Amino acid sequence: MSFRRDGHLACLSGSPSLDRRAFLALAASALLPRLASAAQPRIAIIDWGLLETALAIGVVPAAATELRQFARIAVEPAIPASVVDLGLRGSPNYELLRMLAPDLILISGFYEYQRPSLERIAPVLALPIYEAGRPPYPLAQSSLLALGERTGRGADADRYAAETGAELEERRLALRRFASRPAFLISLGDARHFRAFGADSMPGDVLARLGITNAWHDDTSYSAAAPVGIEALARVPEASIIVLAPLPAEVSRGLPDNALWNALPAVREGRVAVLEPVNHFGGLPSARRFARLLADAVAREPNHG
Amino acid sequence: MARRIPLPILLWSGLGLFACALFGRKLAVQWSGLQSGEVVDLDRVILVYGLLPRAAVALLAGAALGLSGLLLQRILRNPLAEPSTLGISAGAQLALGLATLYVPSIVERSSTAVAFAGGLVAVALILALTWRRGLEPVSVVLAGMMVALTANAAGAALILANGDYLFSLFIWGGGSLVQQGWDPAIAIGWRLALGLGAAVLLMRPLAILGLDDVAARGLGLSLNASRFLLIALAVWLAATVVAEVGIIGFVGLAAPVLATLSGARSLKQKLVAAPLIGAVLLWLTDGLVQLAAGAGGERVPTGAATALLGGPLLLWLLPRLRLFEWPSLDRPAHTPKRVARPWLRIAVLGAAGIVTLAIALLLGRGLQGWSLASDGEMLADLVAWRLPRVIVAATCGGMLAAAGVVIQRVTSNPLASPEVLGIGAGAGAGLAAVLLFAGSAGLGWQLAGSSTGALVTLTVILVIAARGNLGPERLLFAGIAMNALCSAVLAAVVALGNAQSYRLLGWLTGSTIQATFLEASVAAIGLVLITVPLLVAARWLAILPLGAGTALSVGLSVRLARNTLILIAAFASALAAQFVGPLSFAGLIAPHLARMMGLDRTRPQLAGAVILGALLMMVSDWLSRMLFFPYQLPVGLFASLLGGVYLTLLLGRGVERRG
Repeated sequence: MSFRRDGHLACLSGSPSLDRRAFLALAASALLPRLASAAQPRIAIIDWGLLETALAIGVVPAAATELRQFARIAVEPAIPASVVDLGLRGSPNYELLRMLAPDLILISGFYEYQRPSLERIAPVLALPIYEAGRPPYPLAQSSLLALGERTGRGADADRYAAETGAELEERRLALRRFASRPAFLISLGDARHFRAFGADSMPGDVLARLGITNAWHDDTSYSAAAPVGIEALARVPEASIIVLAPLPAEVSRGLPDNALWNALPAVREGRVAVLEPVNHFGGLPSARRFARLLADAVAREPNHG
Repeated sequence: MARRIPLPILLWSGLGLFACALFGRKLAVQWSGLQSGEVVDLDRVILVYGLLPRAAVALLAGAALGLSGLLLQRILRNPLAEPSTLGISAGAQLALGLATLYVPSIVERSSTAVAFAGGLVAVALILALTWRRGLEPVSVVLAGMMVALTANAAGAALILANGDYLFSLFIWGGGSLVQQGWDPAIAIGWRLALGLGAAVLLMRPLAILGLDDVAARGLGLSLNASRFLLIALAVWLAATVVAEVGIIGFVGLAAPVLATLSGARSLKQKLVAAPLIGAVLLWLTDGLVQLAAGAGGERVPTGAATALLGGPLLLWLLPRLRLFEWPSLDRPAHTPKRVARPWLRIAVLGAAGIVTLAIALLLGRGLQGWSLASDGEMLADLVAWRLPRVIVAATCGGMLAAAGVVIQRVTSNPLASPEVLGIGAGAGAGLAAVLLFAGSAGLGWQLAGSSTGALVTLTVILVIAARGNLGPERLLFAGIAMNALCSAVLAAVVALGNAQSYRLLGWLTGSTIQATFLEASVAAIGLVLITVPLLVAARWLAILPLGAGTALSVGLSVRLARNTLILIAAFASALAAQFVGPLSFAGLIAPHLARMMGLDRTRPQLAGAVILGALLMMVSDWLSRMLFFPYQLPVGLFASLLGGVYLTLLLGRGVERRG
């Protein structure tokens, strides 16, 4: 009886022929969310993109990695206090993980090298979001749906994917004027260099989905390209510049005095937007966050567009 | 009569012209863009605030490093002293990284001051470490290398633990010369001017310091005061360069040496030639880096490129360098009393090892605090996690210690250690190559890559050693050169800032976290395969330190014995480096500790050192798991920090004895 493992199946097939048992199951899942979550596997999540994806569809993992840093860099969603911090993403604490004894461990391709160790604790599910040379949005979406399937939250996943699509469409309309120019999408590591987000990064992919031409055409790898000197931003003088925080202290100090930065047309004409931090390797929640932050920033600044 | 221009001057003018031409080409490309109205303004800005200051910084930083290197080489009477071999650059960079994270306000106020402090600490540490050896060159450079390695490892751990925040360290680490204003050029420029002025004023003490201590004292010179003043000056220049553009290797080393080889005889000539040559070298390298750059950015930061050019240069120079006659590297004068029954002591050590092993396996932290694993299933599971790590750590510690005993005895240099041969860094370069060409290579491929890298490094060193019939010092110098070269390759890969960089950073800091039973068995078999032949060949180890003459008189082929032993030591270090990274001073400390416990004869020292090395790494591994639970730090970092503390203690005793 598949609907018992996945109470939302009944919801999807919510036809006039809804039988009594299915109705009861639906009622139970609606009235007793605890019961539904008790049926859910206890999950440990190594990858941040999957962490935010899981939380977005109401799956609260038992454990995840680097939660302190997550709060600073990815910012949202807030992590429930019940989630145990497993330590660094690159070297999660296997002993602690073993003591927590999860039913399922989620990783992405980044952490494939940890698979042999993780499989000793629980079955490992790898859901890819980032693969070199491929736009991540479709991958993130299929990972979201697969996660929903696996955790019995298929309907939530479907809904979230649909909402995300709708929200991006809404933002795209709002950003139409802004989209008349290409834009650089960068992060600043020091006051002299930037890294550009290309089409194979989530913010870069979302940029394209918002109808904005990425002014950076050169190769990037999905972890963002090698650092480039700021003068490269002059190659497309008409472009706007979108900067993803965080800004190191050195940048906040050095950039206002940087003659070249100040000479860039985008800077002179006030076409620079500095956004709050967004998880560089996020899933659909990061995509939404980026689109929202960008739309808000553009709405605040009359010069944009 | 028209005098002929000397060849070296022609050569350097030629190279200078070439650098000029590269710069001219860059300028021409920039001017050709001047067409439409708005762009003209921007292009002028790029020219005035981008291209011109970059050329100026290349010239000034090159000159500053050349001068800094000249001063250091002169004062320390050490042809290999320079900001990067002495760990000054690494220390300055680590200080900047730490300050950026924990006290950003200081970095905002004066990054140069922070870098200067870091460089001073590094150099003070090195001088302190080698003081009682009379600042003898090999020891100074080895100590410098240790400081640099430790600082780099600590920096890598900082990046790992703080993720994206420290991506600027990637750039600093590589030394990018990209400029967008004149501030760095001005900052380096006035310090260079001051430095040159001070060097000219201090010419007389500087000239005398190049002689030996007795002569200098006889000439009424306050030896140490002028020494420290000039060292501080050199550190100040180097730290400024680090603060403004990052670590730029080898210019400080190559410029003074090339000045000498180009015929600069007097100190006055060298003071002119070294900065000039440094300026040309860096400008030329930067021109080539820009030439090779695609639209997507520069493939290699200039600072790493200098090391790629400088490493081979150093290897080539090695047989041509005139090393000062230095009192031979004898064992420290004091030898602890040899114990009557060494094997009893070793048995006690072994028992301590077993107790440590038990604690490492059983005592741990969980969500509810400390716990001694005792109930059946959980115990079995936890031990299944802990055992491979502990075995890998212990056996690698043992292998490094065995390698350390061998290297210290073969080279008669108590400061030698396996890391110094550059084999660990060579393994890293091999690993980097595998990761670059196949991002998701499995363990087998990674092992193959790192073994190949280690073997190639070893072969190069042995070939060079065999060709020049190098003595112990030059062999170590060759190791240092290879180490620097491989580290530069690693730095260049890390500077790419992609997923492979992260894996390499993890390896660099030395992590046993992914250890499996397979790895544990490989390491354990390796330890046995390495230790047993050494115990059998103990006679060689006993005779070689007595000198070639003694060895020949007892019918020992010095070259065969030495090369075999070095080969074994190299394999031991390579295998250990694969599992615990290139860094851990187990190979340095364990042989010392064994000797201090009175285990002086070859076999007892070897056995004792292996156990002590294993102990050290087990303790490091346990600490790395427990201190910041659930966050785990790399074991190599802990081991090297313990090593640093030990070295400092060693020094303290030495001073006391003299005083």
